[in-house]
Amino acid sequence: MLVFVLQRLWQAIVVILAMSVLVFCGVYAVGNPIDVLISPDATQDIRAAVIAQYGLDLPLWQQYLGFLGRLIQGDFGHSFVYNMPVSDLILSRLPATLELTLTAVMFASLVGIPIGIYAGYRPHSPVSRAIMAVSILGFSVPTFWFGLMLIMLFAVQCGCMPAGGRGETLDLFGVPFSFLTLDGMQHLLLPALNLALFKFSLMIRLARAGTREVMLSDTVKFARAAGLSEFTVLSRHVLRLISIPLVTVFGLELGSTLAFAVVTETIFSWPGLGKLIIDSITSLDRPVMVAYLMLVALLFIVINLVVDLAYALLDPRLRKGRA
Amino acid sequence: MRETTPLSRFLSEFSSNRTAAIAAVVVLLIVAIAILAPLVAPQDPYDLANLVLRDARRPPGYVGTQGYVHWLGTDSQGRDLLSAIIYGLRISLEMGVIAGGIAFLIGAFVGTSAAYVGGRFESLIMRIIDLQLSFPAILLAFVIAAMLGQGRYQLIMALIFAQYAYFARTAHGAASAERQKDYVEAALSVPLSHTRVVLKHILPNSLPPLIVVGTVQVASAISLEATLSFLGVGLPPTEPSLGMLIANGFQYLLSGRYWISIYPGIALILFIVSLNLVGDQIRDQLNPRLRR
Amino acid sequence: MTAPLLEVTDLRTWFATARGEIKAVDGVSFTINPGEVLGLVGESGSGKSITGFSIIGLIDEPGRIVEGSIKLEGRELTGLSASELRQIRGKTVSMVFQDPMMTLNPVLSIETQIRLALEAHEKIGADEARRRAIAALAQVRIPDPEIKVDYYPHQFSGGMRQRVAIAIALLHRPKLIICDEPTTALDVSVQAEILSEMKELVAELGTALIWISHDLAVVASLADRVAVMRYGQIVETGAALDVLTHPRHDYTKGLLDALPSRAKPGEMLARGADADAVPPPREAATHEVPPLGSPYLVIEDAVKIYQKPAGLIQSLAVRAGWAAPEPIVRAVDGVSLTLHRGEVLGLVGESGSGKSTLGRMAAGIYAPTAGTVRLNGKAVMSGGRSPVKITTRVQTIFQDPFASLNGRMRIGDIIAEGPIAHRLITRRDAPDYVGRWLAAVGLDPALSNRFPHQFSGGQRQRIAIARALAMQPDVVVCDEPVASLDVSIQAQIINLLIKLRRELDLSLIFISHDLSVVRHLCDRVAIMYRGRIVEEGGAAEIYDNPQHDYTKRLLEAVPVLPEAAE
Repeated sequence: MLVFVLQRLWQAIVVILAMSVLVFCGVYAVGNPIDVLISPDATQDIRAAVIAQYGLDLPLWQQYLGFLGRLIQGDFGHSFVYNMPVSDLILSRLPATLELTLTAVMFASLVGIPIGIYAGYRPHSPVSRAIMAVSILGFSVPTFWFGLMLIMLFAVQCGCMPAGGRGETLDLFGVPFSFLTLDGMQHLLLPALNLALFKFSLMIRLARAGTREVMLSDTVKFARAAGLSEFTVLSRHVLRLISIPLVTVFGLELGSTLAFAVVTETIFSWPGLGKLIIDSITSLDRPVMVAYLMLVALLFIVINLVVDLAYALLDPRLRKGRA
Repeated sequence: MRETTPLSRFLSEFSSNRTAAIAAVVVLLIVAIAILAPLVAPQDPYDLANLVLRDARRPPGYVGTQGYVHWLGTDSQGRDLLSAIIYGLRISLEMGVIAGGIAFLIGAFVGTSAAYVGGRFESLIMRIIDLQLSFPAILLAFVIAAMLGQGRYQLIMALIFAQYAYFARTAHGAASAERQKDYVEAALSVPLSHTRVVLKHILPNSLPPLIVVGTVQVASAISLEATLSFLGVGLPPTEPSLGMLIANGFQYLLSGRYWISIYPGIALILFIVSLNLVGDQIRDQLNPRLRR
Repeated sequence: MTAPLLEVTDLRTWFATARGEIKAVDGVSFTINPGEVLGLVGESGSGKSITGFSIIGLIDEPGRIVEGSIKLEGRELTGLSASELRQIRGKTVSMVFQDPMMTLNPVLSIETQIRLALEAHEKIGADEARRRAIAALAQVRIPDPEIKVDYYPHQFSGGMRQRVAIAIALLHRPKLIICDEPTTALDVSVQAEILSEMKELVAELGTALIWISHDLAVVASLADRVAVMRYGQIVETGAALDVLTHPRHDYTKGLLDALPSRAKPGEMLARGADADAVPPPREAATHEVPPLGSPYLVIEDAVKIYQKPAGLIQSLAVRAGWAAPEPIVRAVDGVSLTLHRGEVLGLVGESGSGKSTLGRMAAGIYAPTAGTVRLNGKAVMSGGRSPVKITTRVQTIFQDPFASLNGRMRIGDIIAEGPIAHRLITRRDAPDYVGRWLAAVGLDPALSNRFPHQFSGGQRQRIAIARALAMQPDVVVCDEPVASLDVSIQAQIINLLIKLRRELDLSLIFISHDLSVVRHLCDRVAIMYRGRIVEEGGAAEIYDNPQHDYTKRLLEAVPVLPEAAE
């Protein structure tokens, strides 16, 4: 187990380093780094001063080391647009995105998995066929288009839901959350639904495919031959057997949901990270882009680590193997 | 006994599922329409002479100043929406197929060679691929698009980079499964050369799962392209793909001019759903545990 | 005369498919008395397993019982609701399956699995369930049941897993247990243990048993009565000794005659010598070949080690003493073996003995980690970092003819590919050459443009033999070539091998776990155990007078058919 954790940490460090190189090259080296650091209307003297200050006359690898050093200290620089430290900016936007993402993923898993298990358990029933039709549609409809439809139906046509924003928020541990107020919940519902649709369909498909295979296995036949009720077979045997692939995808999808939040946040003007990154790309606010990318990389690594540990908990074969 | 090849057997099983058969026909139809766009579309949406501002944002069924019916209405510049959709499909499809095709080739090569060579080479390559897979495609495409700027080549590169890992993963899985099988050992026992074993034995047998991933990935490349174009980091406005059409209609959606966004969306979804249905059926057919 | 426990009358279980109904069970009738052991014997596709599943009410879609009656203690089971059937399953009738690797749930502990089975039929507390679980494991002779009850399935060997499955089947003291090939996936010695334990258990508990098997000898050692099935029907039924010594039905007779254990070693088996065509001449030189009987393929001190390569962190952790190094598997651990020209050498061992790995090294598919494999003095594989096979004089026949043929090639191309690549024939001569080989293995040459999926298992194995022999080898390594075939097909393939070997002066390495097949076919025998050869010698000497303990145990474990009193 120790070796396993060490291996993972080592990998995490390598990934972060690789990511920092990529981001450095991508964002700093490709464009003109001076544009990143000072506004275009600065005087020639200030320009020269800044070049010296940030060591832009140094060889590339020294610049990279400096960049890395500032990263480690959590210094991401100043946003041009918002004129505040990037780290503060990001931290102020993070809760909104996390709230949206977690709501969507929870909904997708808690509703999608049981439905998927049912569809796999009775693959030929009309209800299952309907479930599969919905899931293939949800799997295919681009997130942004589904968002547009939601706005059109619920905000424009029926007028029963707000079209954007976070609504009224309430502070919890000093952080504002929408789900604590009725108005906030209403604002959260459509974006969360929008973001959840793809994962929801994916969870249904995975749970169904897994259940279908496991139901044909000798394990299930043997459990039935011992007289176990169908509910026990499904809840104790099948759920445990399909949980391993599901947890993997859950982890991967938590990451990609974070990424797709960009789309949803843009459509519903949800003031989260995704909205911030889109704005910063269009306004070339590079320090924000860098910080966002590094943060996302970090989140991925944490998620992957947790998934790996969950694996070991779920599968006794791995637990003993790693001991 | 009628002479059957694996292909004919596959096709007859495929067509026994009515939904999948219809989906396959829809896919072929849409592809044909996209290829033949200049012959099929009622109007050339790029021809500036066709843009009459008076005709802009007219609802479906409107009879334009040039005398013909705009069955799906017109867009903000007075273009016939049906024609714009057909040309948009052409661009979307081109992007999806070129990016998907190149990603397929790169992925199949990388994955198969990793599986066949094995050892440290394999674990290094697969580690990188896994890492890339854990990074969502849209984000990769996003970063690349943001880094390289707008344009069709940038977009194709972003799509390839975002997608080749799926092919590589699948090719690796299939090829390492095939590598273990007796028929490969039989070929090695003859002995046949490595090139021949890979090209004639392993590759043809790992093709089916790659085709499944191929259909899904072409679908998702098209969806991804639409998403990126919608967000404004995809194709330039001079190449109006379906995503761009939808994005252009977004601002009119709230004022009730729904058709500018909805019809391109429906065309997009029809195509993606059909592709996914085809992929699903092939996947089911390939799963030995579900066959009887 | 007591009332029968189970009475099956005219049972028909059919499967509706696109190509019409498949009549898997088609009019089966039999009875079992309390405490009786019935052996249900048949080849694959005879409907014996479906009969078992029909009784316990677990037929997969799209199968259904279309007709007939199943009476358990006078109560009709067909037409019962799902919940009524569930009340009976595990309680009155239980079942044990073929592969213990597949039946137990890999992610649940043994205690949990037993508790779930207990809770299915009674209300029971956690402590009581654990106590009962330990007692159940003790009953099937699992050592240290107090510790083993917390284990997961992967921590048990195959035999132990099957004992756990039997323990679960016995939990509620059922009146009837249906065992579907429960020892087929196990080694002979484990099979022998399970068989004798099962015999004692049913006698002790008075449980009736339906033992489904393809193996007549296994059934003979256990059953009071035997029913022989074919094409969904019972062709013959009677007291076990009677049926096996004085079979009345032709099919039963044929089945018995096809067994190599009942024939004189080296002779054609009774069922089915049918390939009379002479194989094509072998133009590839046979001039450098030593005379028959001299040493030909020589394996010296061959070792094959498998070890997972350790990563950087792991190596550091091992060096620091925080972790154990990756285990080294010595699949073949220093084996020297000589195959003389023209002989058949049997390589016998149980699973994991390293016999297949040794065979693949002999065939030049794997390179040995240490030691040499030489044919007529020349290395079979090149040296260097990535060794390749350099001779074509050694060819291989594999166990599973479904896996060993590339499904995307026509069989003509499968057979011709090697000879063309090595210029034994030209592309123009290929059709004729392939046709003659197909005839030589008893297939119609006109079939050469078909694909493998259009052939049965036995026919595919013939194709695989033709592919190997078309390379004009002197040595053929046969890795369990008949293990996955039915008895009657097995007899045909054995006959074919005997015939071709005589005609072509082939030397064979015949790898098998089946001692009777080896006895029938081989001149000399080497017994492998844990990567080493423990005993080697003439077939007759080893079988009649084994020296090594392991060989003795192995031979004793083989179930034997009762001999007819003549």
